[in-house]
Parts: sequence; C-alpha cells; structure tokens
Amino acid sequence: MVNFVALAREHWVNILVPMGFVIGWYFDRQQDQRLTAFRNKSALFGRELKPGEEVTWK
Amino acid sequence: MLKILIPTLMLIPTTWLTSAKWLWPTTLAHSLLIALASLSWLKNLSETGWTSLNLYMATDPLSTPLLVLTCWLLPLMILASQNHTTTEPINRQRMYITLLTSLQIFLILAFGATEMIMFYVMFEATLIPTLFLITRWGNQAERLNAGTYFLFYTLAGSLPLLVALLLLQNSTGTLSLLTLQFSGPTILTSFADKLWWAGCLLAFLVKMPLYGVHLWLPKAHVEAPIAGSMVLAAVLLKLGGYGMMRILPMLEPLTKELSYPFIIFALWGVIMTGSICLRQTDLKSLIAYSSVGHMGLVVGGILIQTPWGLTGALILMIAHGLTSSALFCLANTNYERTHSRTMALARGLQMALPLMTTWWFIASLANLALPPLPNLMAELMIITSLFNWSWWTLALTGTGTLITAGYSLYMFLMTQRGPLPTHIIALEPSHSREHLLVALHLLPLILLILKPELIWGWTA
Amino acid sequence: MNPIVSCTLLITLGLGTTITFASSHWFLAWMGLEINTLAILPLMAQHHHPRATEATLKYFLTQATAASTLLFATTTNAWLNGQWDIQHMTHPLPITLFTIALALKIGLAPLHIWLPEVLQGLDLVTGLIMSTWQKLAPFALLLQIYPANSTLLIMLGLASTLIGGWGGLNQTQLRKILAYSSIAHLGWMILVLQFSPALTLLTLFLYIIMTFSTFLVFHLNNATNINTLATTWTKTPALTALTPLLLLSLGGLPPLSGFMPKWLILQELTKQDLALTATLAALTALLSLYFYLRLSYALALTMFPNNPSGTSPWRLQSPQIMYPLALSITAALTLLPLTPTVTALMMP
Repeated sequence: MVNFVALAREHWVNILVPMGFVIGWYFDRQQDQRLTAFRNKSALFGRELKPGEEVTWK
Repeated sequence: MLKILIPTLMLIPTTWLTSAKWLWPTTLAHSLLIALASLSWLKNLSETGWTSLNLYMATDPLSTPLLVLTCWLLPLMILASQNHTTTEPINRQRMYITLLTSLQIFLILAFGATEMIMFYVMFEATLIPTLFLITRWGNQAERLNAGTYFLFYTLAGSLPLLVALLLLQNSTGTLSLLTLQFSGPTILTSFADKLWWAGCLLAFLVKMPLYGVHLWLPKAHVEAPIAGSMVLAAVLLKLGGYGMMRILPMLEPLTKELSYPFIIFALWGVIMTGSICLRQTDLKSLIAYSSVGHMGLVVGGILIQTPWGLTGALILMIAHGLTSSALFCLANTNYERTHSRTMALARGLQMALPLMTTWWFIASLANLALPPLPNLMAELMIITSLFNWSWWTLALTGTGTLITAGYSLYMFLMTQRGPLPTHIIALEPSHSREHLLVALHLLPLILLILKPELIWGWTA
Repeated sequence: MNPIVSCTLLITLGLGTTITFASSHWFLAWMGLEINTLAILPLMAQHHHPRATEATLKYFLTQATAASTLLFATTTNAWLNGQWDIQHMTHPLPITLFTIALALKIGLAPLHIWLPEVLQGLDLVTGLIMSTWQKLAPFALLLQIYPANSTLLIMLGLASTLIGGWGGLNQTQLRKILAYSSIAHLGWMILVLQFSPALTLLTLFLYIIMTFSTFLVFHLNNATNINTLATTWTKTPALTALTPLLLLSLGGLPPLSGFMPKWLILQELTKQDLALTATLAALTALLSLYFYLRLSYALALTMFPNNPSGTSPWRLQSPQIMYPLALSITAALTLLPLTPTVTALMMP
C-alpha cells in the first residue's frame, strides 16, 4: 500500500512548475483574446472567422 | 510568453522547497519540461511574424530560435554542474541553481522584449548573475580579475548605448520593435550622428565580441565554472548579435559606409583568433578563442545586411551555441578527471574514454563546419554574401575556414589520439550523465540538418 | 553618553532640519541649518578619540564657513532685492553664492575635501546620520532656489561624479569609500537639479535608502575596513548573499533600484540636448562601480578560509534589530519595476 500522505508531503513541490505553466497559459490566452478583439475592430483585418478556424495572429 | 516565463519563475521556489535528496532530479526534470514547452514557440502561423504577443513581449522568427536555445540550455547547465557542486553545502547548491534560473529569466525577458529600453535593461541585468557565476563559483583566484574585465568591458560599451537609445527615443518618440522598421529614414549627416551610430553598435560589438575588444571573453571562459562557460558561449554572446540585428534597420543610411572598418576587423579577427588557437595550450582558452573567431563571421554577416548574411548569422549563432557549449562540456569532463586545462597533460584519452572520443569527434567536426551540419550552411551563407560584397573578403574568410579546420584537428588529435601518458591511466570512467549531456547538445544540432528553416529567421 | 542628553541632541537635530524645511524666510532657514550643525557636533565627538575630535573640528569649520557664506548671500540678496523670501530669488549673484555655500555644506566636488576625513572619524551610526539626514536640509533649500546657472551646476555635478569615483578607487577604509560614494551620488542629483527638481528629490530618497542599508550592514558586522568584511559570511550568511547586490545597486546596475535614478537622469539630460554630459556622467559611474565591485569581492564573492570555530558565529542569536535593515534592503534592491509608479508620484 502506497502511503499517499507521505508521498504528497515529499513531492508536493513538483506541482509548482506545472501550476506556473497553467497560470501562464491562462494569462496568455486572455491576452490573445484581448488582442483579437482589438484586431477584429479594425476595418482592414476584421472578418468573420469560419466555424472551427483558428485565429492566426496569436 | 508567460506560459514559459511563469514556470521559470516558479522554478526558484521549487529549488528552495524541494528536499535535499531530490534537488537535482527535480530541477533538472522541471527545467527540461520548460524547455520542451518552449518548443511550441517554433510553430509560427502569424502573418506579421510576431507571435505570442502580450503588452511587453513577443517572439518572431529571429528571437524564437534564441529563446528556445536559452530554455534548452538551463537543463544542460544543471546536468553539467551536478558533479562539481556535490562537495558544497546544500543551501549553496540551491543558491547556484537559483542563479542559473535567474539568468534564464533575464535572458527570456531580453530576447522576448518588444521595446529597446526593456531589451537594454534585461541585457544589463544578465550581467549580475553572470558576474556572480564567474567570480563566486570559479576555481582560481584569477577569476576576480576575469569578473572585473567582464563587467567593465561590457558596461563601458553599453552605457553609451543607453544614451544613444534615449536620444533615439527623443527623436522618434518610440522604441518599440514592432513598429521600428516602419519609422521614416532619419537624416544623419553630422559628426555627432556618426558617434551616435557607433554608440548604438559598440555595446553589441563588445558583447559579441569583436576582435580587439574581445579580451574579456577568454578570461571569463577560462575562469568560469562549466555552467558559466556554457551559458556565455551559447547564449550571452548571442545577445550581441541579436541586438545588432534589431538595431541595424534604424541606422540605415549610415551603416553602408561606416561599417567597413568593422567588417574588416571582424574578418581579420577570424584569422587572428584562429592563429592564436593553433598555438594554444589551454583547452578552455582554445574553445573561447574559437568562439571569438566564429562570432567574427557573425559580425561580418550581420553588418553586410543582406538577407543571406542575416540568415547565415542567425544559423551560425544557434549552431555555434550548441557546438561550443558541447565542447566546453567535453573540456569539463577532462577537467573533472585531471584537474588541469592544459592539453599536453591530458593526451591520448581515446584509450581511457573511448565513447567520449566519439563525442569529441562529432563536436570537433561541427566546430570546423563539416557538411551537412548547420554550421557549414551558416558559414557558406555568410561567406557567399561577403563575397558578393567584395571579392577580396574571400582571402580572409577562406584562410579563416582553413585555420578553423586546422585548430579543430589540432584540438582533437592533441586530446584524443596518441599514447596515453602513464600519469592518467587511473581515470574515472565516463558517467552516463556526461554522455547524456553531450548527446543533448549534439542531437539537436544533427536534427537541425533535416529542418533548418526553424533557425532561418525571416528568410522563409 | 547620557540618554537624556543624546535624546535632546537628536531632537534638536530633527528640529533644525524641520525649521529649514518649514521656513520661507532666509534668516530662519539659516538658523535651522546652524541649529542642525550645533546639535550634531556633540554627537560626533561623543567618543573621546583624537580622530573623532579632529573630525568634529573639521566639520565645525567647514559648516561654519558654509553658513557664513550663506548668511552673506542672504544679506546680499536682501540688499539687492529688498526681501528675504526663499522662493523669490531673481539676482544671479546671490543665487550663485547660495549654490556654492550649499555645495560646501553637502560636500560637492571641488568643495568635498572635508567629507571623507570627517566621515572617517565617526562611528558608523553617526556616519549614517551624517550622510543621510544632514543632506536633507541643504537639499530642501537647493530645491527651492531654482538655480538657473546651468554651467556651474553641471560643472559641480560632473566634477563630483568624477572625483567621487576617482577618489574611492584606492581606499581601503569603508567610511571613506562611502564618503566618496556619497559625493558621486550628490553629483548626479546636482546634475539634474535645474531640469527636474523632482528627479533630484527621487535620487536623494533612493540614495538615502541605499546608504542607510549599507551603513546598517557594516554596522551589523562592525566593519570599518575591507579586510574586516571578509569574515561577514561567517556571521550573517543570508545578508552576505544580498549585500553585493546592494553594493551593485549603489553602483547603479540594472535591474536593481539604483539604476532608476541614473536612467531617469540620463533621459532628462538627453531631452535637454546634453548627450555629451550624459555620456560623461554615465562613464564616471563606472569608476564608482569599480570600488563597489571590490567591496563585493571581499565581502561575498571570495570566501577566505577560516578555522571551524571562526566559521560558526552565524549560529549565535544576534541581539540587533533587523527589521529596518530588512525593509530598506528590500527597497534598495527591488524598486526598479515600480519606476512608473514612483515617477508618477514624484512628478505629477
């Protein structure tokens, strides 16, 4: 039987870097959306995205 | 951008909170994870070239390879430093890893910056961790002298750069890299403008380093611990090349005439440093001088400012980063066994460490630019674009290439071939850690043969 | 010294500076400066040591000279303009005289010779007061008189940064090094005074924070010369790791707080078309950096061998109060990212 409490106590620090990745990814995504919104307002580049189309200016 | 930066920041608490037993495996695994995640930058679908934008940072095809190289180097530095820090108390080991991590943070911020002043601040900020790496963690007492040289050469070059950038800010109103290429041509005629031109470039030329202002580099390389040598050769020198590529579009009309002496000096430096390498007895110093020579080619390629020149310079920066870092690792494996950098004292190692000889062989071939390695591609592109500018450069670049081959052969033969001297018969066998370390340098280099467009820069 | 006496002296010290701050009349401002000087003299001489006495005497003489020049300038001003208001100075002669008198008071080159000698004779706490609090009152006046004589100020500033860097190069005594560092920093403040007084104030604040931390670190280790610094790592290991950063911050290396004033000053100077002055000032900062680097080498970047009992003092509980140092050293290292906020606060 694996002792989960001891395992968690010894290795909990391993969560920090993946957590940082998730947070950073979230912020990046938020920023992308903000910039995308700005871009879609411009007369030159604004267009409807096809369903399922990825934005190209991330 | 933040998805790499925040995990790198989190690496510092991880270093301090993890238990002593797991310190090295944990930091190594996490930094490798970050390096793998950073590969996602290479996928660039953007129309403008800029991607991963946020308010202060972005990447484009020029900075992406350098950023990935930076991220790739941290796990390798950790891997390389594991052995020689084992005798230190645990908190100092943690401090050491923190230092390396902070260097990566500053480098990511420098290469990712979209504003020249931000780039400048981060360019300078890398000085402090590097200084501590050299002067605190080096081995000999001469390291203090090396640290002083390093700091003052770089700062004496870069303080005029700050003033020059602020002047540019006053005249253009912005220093954003995103819009810099669209700013109108500036009229530069007076003598002060020429000084301003020199001020803009001098910092980067010192950092590269250009032959003539290169004296800090061999000292720093020789005295730094292995991680310091690796990061200096692989990434910090490239800050100079990167900065030059970024700032040159702004200096447009003047560069055409004013860059002549610098190109000649850089090419002359290729030959001079090569000749120095030919009679070098100190292994680390040889590799350091060979870096100066290769960087001379990069300076030439950048100042010539043709697409081929710039592409060749970028490829050479990446290829040289991996190659010279691998060579420093190999030199360090010798150093950890014989405790001497003198080549004459550690000859004929093929008998003692046969597999290491293979790595030495590949790394030496990469250093002398064997086809089809990216090194060759880069040198060909730079030599071609220089030849296109003036036929006479072929005399310098051709001799330079020949001498490079000569000293690479000299280095290989001196360290690996011949009889094994009796005083080093009882060598420790090589660890799999060391094999992994060199393999992680050379495999990317070999794989880049298949897909060089990753490090091509804008010429896609 | 009797606590009541020293308390009285410290309160008087504060009172003198406050009077100068609050005055709009030149005579009152002069009185505040005099009270300030008189209050610190007994504090300087509290240890009966020839060097302390010498320092006190030198300080008294220079400050008296400066104060009498100031008084002369005020009377000249009253004679020429018929009023004693600090903020309404028009005639260039009294303004120049005021500038020179205040330059002598704070120790700007070429009127700096007294400062290293005086600081060397003091203990570290009095030295701390001398190089921080004592600068406030003269600067309060300098900021108010709007000296318009640009060449004089720029010459004073450049000479100070140059001599402050140069003089410290071959010193081994920490207090003298700090005195030269003070001269160099004051030079930077004077350099930008006529263009942006708010920036001078910001530089002064950051200089005070950094110098405060440095003096406290040296006081904690009881160090008055470079050799003594070499055993710091056996006493306070964590502080030893931070102190080189603090010194480099004093030297003005990014990304530490000390870079902020230098950056903003260089920006202001380039805006005023003084690129050459800016470059010269930036390059003289390298001279100062050299001795900060030398201190860092001795302090933390080399570890001198020691016997086992010599390496253990860090295990003992220190009786000193660390909170002010902890706060000020944090501010001295990490303020650079707050530059926009700070500039917005200082320069509305």
